[in-house]
Amino acid sequence: MMPPFASILFYLFAAVIIFLAIVSVSARNIFHSAIALTGALSVVACLFALLGADFLAATQLLLYVGGIMIIMLFVIMLSQQRHNAPQTNQQWVWAAALSLTVAGVLIYTFRDSFKDVPPTLAMQPTTARIGQLLLGDMLVPFEAISLVLLAALVGAVVFAQDTLPPSK
Amino acid sequence: MTLYHVLALSGILFSIGVYGALTRRNILGILMSIELMFNAANINFIGFNHFLHPGNVWGHGFAIFIVTVAVAEAVVGMSLVLTIYRNTKSIYLDEINIFHG
Repeated sequence: MMPPFASILFYLFAAVIIFLAIVSVSARNIFHSAIALTGALSVVACLFALLGADFLAATQLLLYVGGIMIIMLFVIMLSQQRHNAPQTNQQWVWAAALSLTVAGVLIYTFRDSFKDVPPTLAMQPTTARIGQLLLGDMLVPFEAISLVLLAALVGAVVFAQDTLPPSK
Repeated sequence: MTLYHVLALSGILFSIGVYGALTRRNILGILMSIELMFNAANINFIGFNHFLHPGNVWGHGFAIFIVTVAVAEAVVGMSLVLTIYRNTKSIYLDEINIFHG
């Protein structure tokens, strides 16, 4: 039996996440939308902690809120923004219809498939087991992702140069 | 709090991300919407792991890989945005018309 406090917390987190996500995709000022996205990602980290993923919650805070959002705010401030320019294009009606359809289909499918899964209380610290998993069964993708990160690093440096290097 | 509610939250978040990616004129807004969709997928992974395989951490491992790929994508995307802004003085997608098609 789930303690009701965790349920209350879950629905609170869900409401805050959905509200901040809607603000993030509809705000007129791109800076406000970045701040809302930062809040949404932080609350998603809280949700991870609630679901027993303590290491992933810390990773989310460190990488998303501390890394990606800082870079995003830097780029927003580096690129001069015109004020009061419309932020959405003309196809928002169709986009809203499509995204509502996607949400409806997803929720309907989930309800049919996973309605009677019992809630669990099993929560253990996960960091040690994640370490063993990453350097054990997931060793090959772990090494491959380091190559991906290296390629992204080099690519970012190449793209952000003032002048592209002359091609031979 | 059941698995269905966690999955429904993730579906709603994903569709909000789809809406943002389709309607934003700003490249940065589209990148932010893509981050929302990544997070919806991560919530799915963690929810399945928590409710269906409570003694396992494979979902956490996959979610960590998703976060890593999202970081790489964001870094390359940001440097591309800066380059596009430096060349065209605009970050609005409908004003960038490099190919004159």
